[in-house]
Amino acid sequence: MLYSEIVIAGCGNPLFADDGFGPAVVEEMKAKHTLPDNVTIIDAGLGGPHFIFTLLDPEVTKKLIIIDIADFGAEPGQITKLRPEDLPPGSYRDAHSWDLTEPLQRIKDKIEITIIGCQPAKVTAPEFELGLSDEIQKAIPKTIRVILESIGVDYGTTIKCLQEERQRGTAETCGSGKTS
Amino acid sequence: MSKVVEISPTTRHEGHSKLVLKVNDAGIIETGNWCSITPVRGVEKLAVGKTPEQVPKIASRVCGICPIAHCLAATEAMEASIKCEIPKDALMLRHILQLANRCHSIALHDILILPDFYIPGTETKINPFTAEEPVRSVAKRIQRLREIAQTIGEIAGGECIHPSNPRIGGMYRNCSEQAKIKMYDLAKEAVTLSHQQAEFMIAVIRNYHKRDFVDVGGMKVPMIKELGYHDQGYLATHAFYGSSSLDECPSWDIRRFKEARPYDWYMGEMEVSLEEPRYPIGGTTKIGTKTNPQMEACTGIPMYDGQPVEVGPRARLVTYKYFDEKGTQGQNIAREMEYQDCFYEMIDCIDELNPAGKVVADFIPDGDGSLGWASNEAPRGTDVHIARVKDWKVQYFSMLVPTTWNFATCSKALEGAPWQLAEVIMRGYDPCVSCATHMIVVDEDNKLVAQKLIQ
Repeated sequence: MLYSEIVIAGCGNPLFADDGFGPAVVEEMKAKHTLPDNVTIIDAGLGGPHFIFTLLDPEVTKKLIIIDIADFGAEPGQITKLRPEDLPPGSYRDAHSWDLTEPLQRIKDKIEITIIGCQPAKVTAPEFELGLSDEIQKAIPKTIRVILESIGVDYGTTIKCLQEERQRGTAETCGSGKTS
Repeated sequence: MSKVVEISPTTRHEGHSKLVLKVNDAGIIETGNWCSITPVRGVEKLAVGKTPEQVPKIASRVCGICPIAHCLAATEAMEASIKCEIPKDALMLRHILQLANRCHSIALHDILILPDFYIPGTETKINPFTAEEPVRSVAKRIQRLREIAQTIGEIAGGECIHPSNPRIGGMYRNCSEQAKIKMYDLAKEAVTLSHQQAEFMIAVIRNYHKRDFVDVGGMKVPMIKELGYHDQGYLATHAFYGSSSLDECPSWDIRRFKEARPYDWYMGEMEVSLEEPRYPIGGTTKIGTKTNPQMEACTGIPMYDGQPVEVGPRARLVTYKYFDEKGTQGQNIAREMEYQDCFYEMIDCIDELNPAGKVVADFIPDGDGSLGWASNEAPRGTDVHIARVKDWKVQYFSMLVPTTWNFATCSKALEGAPWQLAEVIMRGYDPCVSCATHMIVVDEDNKLVAQKLIQ
């Protein structure tokens, strides 16, 4: 099988500055973390909708985590979790299907989908520019933490401590990404 | 008197393009313009000053459909410039990767064109997503073929979307004996499936072109025998892979290539004077809208021997396999015929591959600034990259992508066809216009989303 039980896909184009957030997170995770066998992590780049979302087998894949940038009116580098229902039309449109479908909407009832969105500082399209902004770069460790948490991988004691702190209402101390 | 009709955006292909058609009273196209309206992004500028290692990675990000073709063409253009010969096993891995990419693309194209066609012997158009037979098993077969192609691509290329294994001087690593066997088994399974799939598609395509009338959005449109015919000639550089040397494969000569400005080629400003709300999806452009292909078109017009040429599966079959069918029908059939050939060729390459062989060249020169080019037969046609590398820095880089060749050729092929079938002709070229960023914009739900912010 091409894809396993859990699929993590980093979407976006590194040639448009912060749009490269998804692939950058994937690169970092591949380099620094050993993931369980039931996890496929993939730099989806520009090919998410037709190379991944339309090729998942719901019999095998139960969970899909998408990492991408999202403009939700927050400070650059802030991250959020989204569900396919939260997405405005056209976010992941498969230009290759016959009616410009949204592949995520087709699979969302069979596969649990989480989208981790990061507020970008700059997206240079249509001009090319390489490299992430500092704020976005800093969001990578935090994003990885969130991913590991949602796939149930033990990431030392950090996640647990963070959760406890958050419950105690001291969440602001955890937002900086310094703990990673 | 001629009328102007505009179909914008065109659907069921990658990227953003439009058709501007000047038609006569009977609705037959007199002049057709098919143009890209995706902005130019200047990859050439970005590449200058980078190391040759970086540029293929950059090139692979300009398109989400054929990243493999761009990655390989850019890598080989660099190698041609620095004059580096790669080991045979590295070449075999690249061949396998290239073929996997093409097979996935053909399968994808099948899904795109199927809704134009009818189930033979009926008046029912094919909906590839229906749960009913016989279409259901065809859709499943297509999905399996895509899956096989992607898996083989992942084994040979490291990653299945943006390949990480190719490098200047060869490949980073060879595959294991076990991986070789896996690729072989998958390819063997795919040979059978691709035979079945090609037979089905060819039957459906022939049936469509034999009809007297076809239905487009409820309109009864006469089918013509010469749909998509043109006299522009063909260009192909290899039956499967490509070339980066005139000595090795005398196919693509940079001296015979020239580029014209879109301004000199396309029609000037006009006003839309024919509107058809029934045309799928959502009707054509409203009457009175100004359109100006000359100024809006974003690609140059590449010429080979002074004229635009066709590239793609039919060009390859005409050049290397004596294929003689013309028009849109011939083009779609040629693509299906490549299906099985690809898997047979892949099996040959896997046979040739020695998993214990070295895959990186012993000596990788820094480059002396000579011009190198590499043509890669991408699924849609000849993809030429040109590079100049000096002291391990890229001085010049240029990409000449397949659909750029086909824009002008297809514009010619539109002439004489009923305008409602213009998109059918265009889809025969399997266009891949460009890829752009996609950013999720959550405006209206700001509040809702902000609450879910992860601290």
